[in-house]
Amino acid sequence: MSRSLEKILDQIFQEKVFLSISSVLGFLLIWYLVTDLLGLMPAIVLPSPEKVFFTIYEKILDPVGEEKLFGHLRISLIRIMVGTGIALALAIPLGILMGWYENLDAVASPIIEVLRPIPPIAWIPLAILWFGIGLASKVFIICIGVFFPTLINTYLGVKFVDPLLIKAAQTLGARDKDILWEVVVPASVPLIVAGMRIGVGLGMMCLVAAELVAASSGLGYLIVLGGDDLKPELSITGMILIGLLGLIADRIILKVERKVVYWRKE
Amino acid sequence: MSESPMVNNQLNGKLVALNVSIVYEKNKKSFLAVDKVSLTIQEGEFVVIVGPSGCGKTTFMNTFAGLLRPTKGKVYMDGQEITGPSAERGVVFQQFALFPWKTVFENIEFGLKYRGIPKEQREEIVRKYIHLIKLEGFEHAYPHELSGGMKQRVAIARVYANRPQVLLMDEPFGALDAQTRTIMQEDLSEMFLAEKRTVLFITHSVDEAIYLGDRVVIMTARPGKIKRIIPITRDNLIPERRKMGYEEVVNRREFLELKNEIWGLIKAEILEKHIL
Repeated sequence: MSRSLEKILDQIFQEKVFLSISSVLGFLLIWYLVTDLLGLMPAIVLPSPEKVFFTIYEKILDPVGEEKLFGHLRISLIRIMVGTGIALALAIPLGILMGWYENLDAVASPIIEVLRPIPPIAWIPLAILWFGIGLASKVFIICIGVFFPTLINTYLGVKFVDPLLIKAAQTLGARDKDILWEVVVPASVPLIVAGMRIGVGLGMMCLVAAELVAASSGLGYLIVLGGDDLKPELSITGMILIGLLGLIADRIILKVERKVVYWRKE
Repeated sequence: MSESPMVNNQLNGKLVALNVSIVYEKNKKSFLAVDKVSLTIQEGEFVVIVGPSGCGKTTFMNTFAGLLRPTKGKVYMDGQEITGPSAERGVVFQQFALFPWKTVFENIEFGLKYRGIPKEQREEIVRKYIHLIKLEGFEHAYPHELSGGMKQRVAIARVYANRPQVLLMDEPFGALDAQTRTIMQEDLSEMFLAEKRTVLFITHSVDEAIYLGDRVVIMTARPGKIKRIIPITRDNLIPERRKMGYEEVVNRREFLELKNEIWGLIKAEILEKHIL
């Protein structure tokens, strides 16, 4: 009995999970030390961890502005999902076609090259002017954030397909259209997914930026409200949820990646 | 795809190259890779090209594949000019070129789909070739799960299953270890006997060239020209060699004499052009 317990403990210590958990606990401990225990930071600047947890609990039950906490979370989630969905639906096909058809590349590239370096948040004023302060303007900003990294990666994925594979397909009797769908697209999937991952990360930043500037709901709104009302615990609540949302989104894409790139060497 | 047939005596043969020259552009300098090569390969013939590294063997073969247009001269199949790739001229590449996201089965099936062969028939053909390359049980494996020798067998089966009239093989066994290579050579010999095709085969190995070829074409160092063509079959050298094991053949006196002769020609070429 004690032997097997020892074994389990041994395993726990060897597992990197143990290190990861300790690091989170350590972080909370330091936070607790500088706030509550040593009082190095006044609560108005940095609230203690238990105050933040209490705020989270409270806001799940009581509304902040128009919504309770999960209402804000839901609104942000809808914005990021619609924005990401539209961006991927546009960027992936366009990237594939630009990579494959040189004429389309020549037409589209100059415009994309100029638009691409513009930070997505620079579009916020125009987005509000065009779409108001509702869902559409946030979706637009997120769309821009997700669109360009996905487009560029998809384009490069198509451009850098091993020419040998294309030659092999040609000498086996495949025509251009077959080669695009049977060889070029599957071969570029790893880079497309990598682009999606970068894109969604950027999309999260755009979400918060858009909600900071013009919104009466969403996690970004909570963050800015916490600043305005001198309630940093509210800002931190919003930040934690954004962080968790980003983490979950990234894990989902990693799962998708493993599923669609099953044929790659580990 | 091809132009009107212009059959004349010169173009009699399965594959014909007429005065093919290929100029390469590299770093804004152009140099001659292949210099006025003419070669006729008859239907059902197994022709092997040997020559020093960088002599333009692969470049020359690519013109038959339709993957490269000669700078000067023309290449023909059945008297028709070759203007692009075709399923009738299957290529086995040195680096396997399997589709990594497709299984062994799907790789071998690839060309059959574009030939309009119905599904049940495709399955039957693929099973037959998986049996021929002794990969039963690996139908659903992906290329990254296979050894080099297995990959190359799949690459060969993929082209064989497609039933091209001509097989172009570019150092297909170059990346394999000696034992696997011997087995592959024997397999190929066996497969060639079972389903005679026209084959153009490139290799560095003189042994391999004599064991497999009806004729061995020796090319010069860059620019590539034909230095000599040695008939193997016509001299009736070991007529049954394709039915014999590799080790048995390469130790025969006739084989060794031929090997010396060919090696002499290649060595002379290397020394003369100061390649080493």
